[in-house]
Amino acid sequence: MTVNIIYFSIMAFSFRNIMTIFRRAAFSKFNTLSGSELVPSISLLVPAYNEELTVIENVKCLMTLNYPTYEVIVINDGSSDDTLEVLRNEFGLEPLPNPEMRNSIDCQPVNAVYYNPQYPHLYVIDKPNGGKADSLNAGINLSHYPLISSIDADSLLEKDALIRMARMYMENPEETVAIGGDVRIANGCHIENGAVKEVSLPRKMWPMFQAVEYLKAFLGGRIGWSSINGLIIVSGAFGLFRKDYVIAVGGYRGGYPGEDMNIIIKLHRYMLENKLKYRIAFCPEAVCWTQAPDSYRILSNQRKRWGRGNLKNMIENYDMAFKPKYKVMGLLTMPYNIIFEALNPYFKITGLLALIGYTVIDMTHWRILLVFGLVNILSGYLLSIGALLLEELAFKRFNKVSDLARMMLYSALKFFGYAQLGGLWRIQGHIQYLRNNNSWGTMTRQSWKSDNGNTKSA
Amino acid sequence: MVPNTALQSEKEQYSTYLDIEQSVSGTAFETNGIVFISCAGGPSYMEKQVRGILESQPGLSFEIWNGQENGDMFILLPGQSLDAVHFQGLLLKQRLGEIVTVFVPSMTLAGFSQREEITQQVLKQMEESVKQNPTGDIHIFSKEEMRSVRSRVLIVEGDATVREFLQIRLRMQGYETIVADNGLTALELIGKWEPDLVLTELNLYGIDGLPYIHHIQQLNVSVVPKIVVLTEQRVEQTISLCFQNGVDDYITKPFSPVELDARIRRCIQ
Amino acid sequence: MEAHLTIAIYFIYVCLVLIGIGIALLFFMKIRHIRIQRKKEFYLQKHQDYFKFIQLHLNGVSALPLPPGSLTKLERRVIQEKSIEWIEQLKGDLREKLITLCQDAGFVQDDIKLLDSLFYGRRIAAAYRLGGMRSAEAVPRLLSMMEQEKYSALTIVLARAISKSAERGDQLKEMLHHLLRHGKPIHNMAADIIMETRLDASRILVKLLEDENSDFVKVALAAMWGQAIPEVVPALDRLVVAEEKDVRAEAVKLYLSSNPVLKDETIRDLMSDSDWEVRATVAKSLGTMHAAGSIPLLRTALQDANWWVRNNSAESLALLGETGFEVLCQIAKHGSGVEREIALYHIERTMLQDGDHQKLDQMVAYNKKKLLYERYFGVSESTKVRQVAAVGGDYTA
Repeated sequence: MTVNIIYFSIMAFSFRNIMTIFRRAAFSKFNTLSGSELVPSISLLVPAYNEELTVIENVKCLMTLNYPTYEVIVINDGSSDDTLEVLRNEFGLEPLPNPEMRNSIDCQPVNAVYYNPQYPHLYVIDKPNGGKADSLNAGINLSHYPLISSIDADSLLEKDALIRMARMYMENPEETVAIGGDVRIANGCHIENGAVKEVSLPRKMWPMFQAVEYLKAFLGGRIGWSSINGLIIVSGAFGLFRKDYVIAVGGYRGGYPGEDMNIIIKLHRYMLENKLKYRIAFCPEAVCWTQAPDSYRILSNQRKRWGRGNLKNMIENYDMAFKPKYKVMGLLTMPYNIIFEALNPYFKITGLLALIGYTVIDMTHWRILLVFGLVNILSGYLLSIGALLLEELAFKRFNKVSDLARMMLYSALKFFGYAQLGGLWRIQGHIQYLRNNNSWGTMTRQSWKSDNGNTKSA
Repeated sequence: MVPNTALQSEKEQYSTYLDIEQSVSGTAFETNGIVFISCAGGPSYMEKQVRGILESQPGLSFEIWNGQENGDMFILLPGQSLDAVHFQGLLLKQRLGEIVTVFVPSMTLAGFSQREEITQQVLKQMEESVKQNPTGDIHIFSKEEMRSVRSRVLIVEGDATVREFLQIRLRMQGYETIVADNGLTALELIGKWEPDLVLTELNLYGIDGLPYIHHIQQLNVSVVPKIVVLTEQRVEQTISLCFQNGVDDYITKPFSPVELDARIRRCIQ
Repeated sequence: MEAHLTIAIYFIYVCLVLIGIGIALLFFMKIRHIRIQRKKEFYLQKHQDYFKFIQLHLNGVSALPLPPGSLTKLERRVIQEKSIEWIEQLKGDLREKLITLCQDAGFVQDDIKLLDSLFYGRRIAAAYRLGGMRSAEAVPRLLSMMEQEKYSALTIVLARAISKSAERGDQLKEMLHHLLRHGKPIHNMAADIIMETRLDASRILVKLLEDENSDFVKVALAAMWGQAIPEVVPALDRLVVAEEKDVRAEAVKLYLSSNPVLKDETIRDLMSDSDWEVRATVAKSLGTMHAAGSIPLLRTALQDANWWVRNNSAESLALLGETGFEVLCQIAKHGSGVEREIALYHIERTMLQDGDHQKLDQMVAYNKKKLLYERYFGVSESTKVRQVAAVGGDYTA
């Protein structure tokens, strides 16, 4: 019951903010900002591990953003495929003698930095494999600008995404330490010249479930959490950070997945412990399109990894929970995440088992089982409908009635199978964590070039 | 060896053109407007309607001649400058559209600042410009269209409104124009069409601004086109890099169209 | 148990009702949105000839009319939006004509009326459009709206609308006051907003620079980037020695960008300023000023605690002919720690950059540097890629 109350109040916060978001998106033009010297410069950090298929397309897309001054730093994290070679060939990159690495944060030594004066805003770092966090740290050490933005190499940014975020940053530059962007599923969309031309829903089942799931998490959840400054994660796929604070908290933590959540928790902790006024914001109008895993195996690996990272972060930071010193973070976000996110599957299973046991013993109580099942499903569905409403109010990105109907259908189907699987994967992730299994799992990419992004199976 | 009937109509036509030319030289105005409407295939009462619409406006004088084909009309609007003539064209089209819903007439119109400019040859060309390319849109006939050698301008711009504006404006200046909405198409078109000048935004889909400028210069064309950048990008470093890479002029948005005209003219000459 | 069950059942009913309402609302909104979208497209198509007419005759002398015939509300909105798009892209007389068109067509009046609407959403939309139409008439109303607003993203929408429309300098000042009274350091944003004005920007900036409110001064300093305004130089002279750190740094940057003649003494003072931004800026500008005595200063600055100061100093040294370059080489060979790092980096960069030299004098200069390079590091042309070990911390950049 409590979990539902929290969900609904977060959703209520989202609704309270959605019209402001719609208006600021609709009534702000960037034509003056997008060419202005007054906009802060940004270093885009793109960690790439075995991305030879997609990396060129992505770098090209990143180099045509609507933004005055920025640089793109691709970090090749010891790929075993030809990621570095395809980059070098495409952009004619040469190793930079004596590259200037700042060494503000510890990271593995790099092999070389590649550069071509013809593409003055592109750098490629080549380093031995050390994980995503280590790559990001290396990128920070090379970066020349005060803001950094981490972007997954399998994501496409919308042309205006960065300037929208920067506008949000400029509205309150001193207090903003991080801004998260909205991540949407690109499977099924028509992609041309590194930009999403036609928005449409994925055709396959797994990406479709994820599409509704992301919509609910980002619009229903994060808008609300950010309005009370209790955001616990800025998606690793697309986030903007102030470099000075990232350095102050020691950069990204390596070794475990979930470095995106970890950095945010560390930022919260740092700012609160030093009693600095701050905000970690969410900018839903800045959109990043990502390729969702479209097969059971890859998806389950991804989710297990998330479960593992999540548990690690919770164990490392459980001391923040229930401490008034940490304000919203300590009183609401951390307890919520520990109890309802990390441990949720266990509650569900035990609860279900108890109910079933109870009913089996006494068959007359089948009604109770039914009622509680319904409460669970209906309240969840109501939240999904709420998220769809938010989307419709502010963004209207899907423009077919049939898409709407499909999303409603899948939001409902989610409760029969997919949601349970999600719980299962999370538990498996926890088991992996306890067994100290820390592998990356496979994440096979497909080339963006295929029209619908999901013709090849992994 | 022209067939008889054709000769016949040619002659008739000739006399219509002549009539108009004579009528023009008799007016008291230097500035005159001509509208040509082709209703071929449309209902027969079109001419009456046109007459009615024009008569309903107080203070507007006009003359109508029938053209060669049934339903063709030349309308002379003495003393009216191009913008007024153009507005009459809009009015005619709108009113006719209200009455006759099934048929959209083709229309071309022109404004002349001197009586002598309205010659039989010009009138004939106006008629042909419609016949060759019958669309529902109103065609604006300009003297520049008759020139055979025109400078070619490629307009590269992502924003549809600006693109359309530039195209209309440059066409009116007498340039031959085509448009592209992204950098890759633009590079392709420069190779194929070999424009004299590229008027381009820096911030395009497909390719980053500076490498794009660089690419243009590396293209295998007989003469590298002049490059004029029209962009929102105002960062000084970018501007100086552009000039270093051989850009001929750099204009920032919002822009003054008059200034843009002047700069393009300077570059092309 | 029974009581719990009853509550649960009620809860189910409430959920069902809400879901029903939600779904109905969703379909209603979607279908309505699609309908409006289609209609708008249709009107855009219908008025294509009219839009062409407007674009062709923006130059003319006579005022622009609306299209003939009666127009629906949505049709008017489509025409208004198109006009606003043009107004945003153009400047000069042609824009004035479009502004007059919006005025004559009654678009401005309609939106001013909407400023009294009960719905906040309509008011803010109207304010946005009024800014788009550069309506001077609406400015007092917009200012009072801004006065009542709490600070949010929409405050900036209002501020922009006012800045675009204002016809007097004091209105701009009042807008700035409202914008900055929330105490947020949004000077860059404010500068961008203020530069949207139709008024003569240089006069406004001079006034702001002389204002006693240091926030206004900061906005003006930020706004002056990329604008060459000779009138402000005296004001800058005064600000270079300002108390407040940010103001001083910005002023120094601007001052140096106007290529002034500096006394050696001034340079020395600035190079030992407590603010690193000042030092970095001065170090950078020394590279192009060719002032005697700057080389030893830059040499010392290579050991500065701040990365930017070191970087700019090395860059400037590389630009200062053979003498400067030789200093870099010496440090790269015999120096240690951070100064060696930065010197090495810039030496390699210079050798790489000067590779393609077209002009004779450039080639001569390059060859001299190359000679120096070879004297210090040998002739090996194969570029050594040095590995950078992650040692030490440098938190300055």
